[in-house]
Amino acid sequence: MQSQTEQEAELAGLIIETLNLEDVNVSDIQPEEALFGDGLGLDSIDALELALAITQKYSVQLKADDENMQQAFGTLRSLNEFIEKNTT
Amino acid sequence: MATRVDVPLLNRQPDEIIAFRRDGEVRVSQFVAEAIALSRQLPEHQYVINLHADRYQYLLGFCAAIIAGQCTLMPPNRQPHTLEQLAERYADLHIIGGSSDKDQQLRSEFEADIPLIAANQLCAIAFTSGSTGTPTAILKYWQTLRTGSLGNAKLLLADRSVRTNLLATVPPQHMWGLETSILLPLFANVAISHLTPFYPQDIVDALANLAEPRVLVSSPVHLQALLKSGLNAVSVDRIFTATAPLSKELASDLESGFATEVVDIFGCSEAGILARRSTSSEELWTLSHLFELIVRDDGIQIEAEHLTEVVLMPDIIELVDREHFRWIGRHQDMINIAGKRGSLADLNHRLREIPGVVDGVIFTPHADQSRLAALVVAPDLNTSDILRQLKEQIEPVFLPRPIFRVSELPRQETGKLATEAVNDLFELTKELALKAK
Repeated sequence: MQSQTEQEAELAGLIIETLNLEDVNVSDIQPEEALFGDGLGLDSIDALELALAITQKYSVQLKADDENMQQAFGTLRSLNEFIEKNTT
Repeated sequence: MATRVDVPLLNRQPDEIIAFRRDGEVRVSQFVAEAIALSRQLPEHQYVINLHADRYQYLLGFCAAIIAGQCTLMPPNRQPHTLEQLAERYADLHIIGGSSDKDQQLRSEFEADIPLIAANQLCAIAFTSGSTGTPTAILKYWQTLRTGSLGNAKLLLADRSVRTNLLATVPPQHMWGLETSILLPLFANVAISHLTPFYPQDIVDALANLAEPRVLVSSPVHLQALLKSGLNAVSVDRIFTATAPLSKELASDLESGFATEVVDIFGCSEAGILARRSTSSEELWTLSHLFELIVRDDGIQIEAEHLTEVVLMPDIIELVDREHFRWIGRHQDMINIAGKRGSLADLNHRLREIPGVVDGVIFTPHADQSRLAALVVAPDLNTSDILRQLKEQIEPVFLPRPIFRVSELPRQETGKLATEAVNDLFELTKELALKAK
């Protein structure tokens, strides 16, 4: 089991809050586990809601045709890296 | 013996533009030649599932299948369980546009005549979830699709004399996407973009790259995200939205932000597009001229010459006059999440069938009507086990969230579950869960 960084924990909190995952704890979201499909079972509507919350909090616009994007939404870790790269 | 009646695959002029694909515009003559060429390459099967994400490739595949006499199945989702069920039910089946398929390179130097299609040819099958666990098949014959589309052209675009360039955010595999972005260009002066943008930034970029005049076909979920993103608006002549109720506020905000007109569409998989409403200024829905609504004891029947089966209105409505109705609400058991209609009874049945689940209920919480939640009695399972089992059979949008395990459900002596009691227990459990964090 891998531990989350402080930023990852904060992002995990945003995911839980945005998507009404009251039955999930911040520490339940494994940094390297798939967010969509298997892992938490999130769907495309969640992707939109999450994208919006990320835009509002971090001022980053997500794009699906960006090749990195498919990968970015893969896991908590890759999403956090994507945000860091695009905010600095 | 009935005589065979043939009708053309499309009603367009050969030099009109029908689509914009990656390498530029496609004229009707070229499209027809490519569709015929592709129809000759399709393996011989009765049924086909078209998974193309590129809308032009989907259009080609859909029409090639019709020319080849094949019927396109429209699975309600891509869940392995759903596709397996379909493969069992329709054994003579092949798939096009899967991840391994490359875009077709078609030789099309010749000028082809527009193919004629038998009016009674079965061209597509859509599915609804239904309560029994087996999706109900809705048969779409060529005459049904063709007449419906000519009616849609009149309902949606009658006042437009120039070509309309259409961008859709909804996939072609959904009835709303099929009727607008695949069938409309066959029967109206419409050219489609090959793209299906998803995030707000993608939508804005795709619109900006599409020639004017343009219309956007979308859903309230996508439009809400687009508006909230705060991105600079691109001009759009008209926005068509369907699949879920659109608030008057969202309609007005979009209209001022995009200097456009927002037209809400009411329909169902069984009958297709039925009515339209300019939500910012109208309360009543205007029925398409193709349909007539007839009040019966068990509901309101949707009557039209091109429909082959009796269709009942899926929602509760109030008829105002022959052409107008007021939407009242959904029938009690029916839910609509992200544009998909489902039955709570069916979802609950699936939950209670899971081995280890003693009792359980899936419901719409008062606090958030856009998602379902569940309370489950299952001493030997954890919530991720339950979620995993549900995921195999239920569409992602219907997955309850959160799922809370409880020791028992507040059933009355008759076994009934009162909505209020379920909601109270849910709120209490949620509070405890938040405190425990």
